[in-house]
Amino acid sequence: MKLLKDKAAKLSFVALLAATSASMLYTPTAAAHGEKSQAAFMRMRTIHWFDLNWSKEEVKVNDTMTLSGKFYVFLGWPETVDKPEVAFLNVGEPGAVFIRQGSWIGGQLVPRSASLELGETYEFKVLLKARRPGDWHIHAMMNVQGGGPIIGPGKWTTITGSMKDFVNPVTTLTGETIDLETYNLDNTYFWHALWYAIGLAWLAYWVRKPMFIPRSIAIESGKANTLITATDRKVGIAFTAGTIALVAIAMGNTNEKYPVTTPLQAGLLRNMKTFEMPTPTVSVKVEDATYRVPGRAMQMTLKITNNGDSAVRLGEFNTASVRFLDSAVLEDTSGYPDDILAEDGLTVSDNSPLAPGQTRTVQVTASDAAWEVYRLADLIYDPDSRFAGLLFFFDEAGKRQMVTVDAPLIPVFI
Amino acid sequence: MSASQSAVRSRAEAVKVSRTFDWMILFVMFFIVLGGYHIHYMLTGGDWDFWTDWKDRRLWVTVAPIVSITFPAAVQACAWYRYRLPFGAVVCVLGLLLGEWINRYLNFWGWTYFPVNFCFPSNLIPGAIVLDGILLLGGSMTLTAVVGGLAWGLLFYPGNWPIIAPLHVPVEYNGMMMTLADLQGYNYVRTGTPEYIRMVEKGTLRTFGKDVAPVSAFFSGFVSIIIYFLWHFFGRWFASTDFISGENL
Repeated sequence: MKLLKDKAAKLSFVALLAATSASMLYTPTAAAHGEKSQAAFMRMRTIHWFDLNWSKEEVKVNDTMTLSGKFYVFLGWPETVDKPEVAFLNVGEPGAVFIRQGSWIGGQLVPRSASLELGETYEFKVLLKARRPGDWHIHAMMNVQGGGPIIGPGKWTTITGSMKDFVNPVTTLTGETIDLETYNLDNTYFWHALWYAIGLAWLAYWVRKPMFIPRSIAIESGKANTLITATDRKVGIAFTAGTIALVAIAMGNTNEKYPVTTPLQAGLLRNMKTFEMPTPTVSVKVEDATYRVPGRAMQMTLKITNNGDSAVRLGEFNTASVRFLDSAVLEDTSGYPDDILAEDGLTVSDNSPLAPGQTRTVQVTASDAAWEVYRLADLIYDPDSRFAGLLFFFDEAGKRQMVTVDAPLIPVFI
Repeated sequence: MSASQSAVRSRAEAVKVSRTFDWMILFVMFFIVLGGYHIHYMLTGGDWDFWTDWKDRRLWVTVAPIVSITFPAAVQACAWYRYRLPFGAVVCVLGLLLGEWINRYLNFWGWTYFPVNFCFPSNLIPGAIVLDGILLLGGSMTLTAVVGGLAWGLLFYPGNWPIIAPLHVPVEYNGMMMTLADLQGYNYVRTGTPEYIRMVEKGTLRTFGKDVAPVSAFFSGFVSIIIYFLWHFFGRWFASTDFISGENL
């Protein structure tokens, strides 16, 4: 017997050591959200995020910051992804390091899912309250039913202070102000502990007597009926009746204590207010587009026609949240994340002002390591090898026009 | 010692060995059930059990008892047929809840910082005690399936109401009304669990006005009866012993 016990103890110790090592010795912080792993066409041809602004880069616990901007729901939405008829404006963050105090699309609060229209632009804002200290990568994100999470650009944000100081006060419609961070916690612990203790008492009643071997022998020898005694039955009645009584009394008391309760709220928000972008006077036709794999560069031949009354220049190509700029036309002053900003990543064969009424065919090259780092080059492995993005043109007064492009992409390997 | 000799030399030693086996078997059984039942419940009950903003009066009440009566039925059948021990359901639920609390505290709170008041598990103990009590008093698996299964479904919502009622107090938030549970789901960002995934308040059960929880509980109880029958057979099969003769090998 001793040998058996010693062996069990040794094995238990080894198992404990292995479990501890496996679970505790290497637990790196989860910092990002797999944005680079998402299929390139998902990021290029679904939701185009632009004009993003993170109001702060450093924020104290309990202070707030906003993540705001616009998103264009791409008209050439891929067939392989469900359309955003049920979509939820989310935030990509590693756990609830910020709480979402509010989120709006077109000025309407969106605590629930909303229906979005293809080809429309929406303005959004998310109000975040800092909760857990650390450096966190905070993304805009749109979850689409049947499509999954469509992640937008992310920026590193630092939260300082201590999580112990975090509070989340809320005033209910019954006039009570509570801290949602800890509300109902004692009540939860109390009821779970009480019922667990009752369950353990039931178990204790049975395990104090011999259990498996003698009872099995008794059953094998036809004495099963002798195993349940009159006392057992009385105890059984007490536990069963007591349980039902306790449930009934607790429910009655709870209803007295909380006379006003409502069901969970659910439903879809429709008719979201769209953002009216200026009607573009520039038209663009993609003659061809290639991606040169060794050079990490995408080249497009664009036929641009200016139908407006002011000369325009191409300043930006935005795809999958990566911004390729021609610094001679546009410089970013918004503090856009460096890793997805190619300040001189856009080269146009002739980017002189395109006069009104004029048409010009140009070679546009978008090149940056971001193609590789953000795995946009994987586009060539997509089921529908097309690229898409936003082109931003600027007139002489600095007025901006947005034009979408959507065309097949041919990879060049040599 | 020859093969025919007893491993123990006195009655006192036999009792001691028997008790040691009792504790070893109970310990092993508890943790095996904990692991299996926990995985099963996470896969089938999942989010309904994880989050307060999924614990509604329709689907949570319906789904959670149906998918959770499985292991109690099987373990009850095993413990009752082989040992006349009416504690199978309680052992299962105690194991499940221990596993769930460890998971919720260390993973949900410790790793991803969701407050425990948002991700605590459902309480299944009242139903388990009544299920074991009915088996003890009736001595019949059929009676336990019918009366106990129904009671399992019926007791679930009232057994949890004292814990979740405070979270169903309404609040006005930026011009919309929601419950505190809804607000928890909105405030505490779940990147991989968007709002539309929530299966709450869906269905056509509208003719009962606001009193749908009892109807859902009855339905859940009826289905629990069927699931109990099915899983009790799994338990009986698992607890059966077969000897194969050498000729058949």
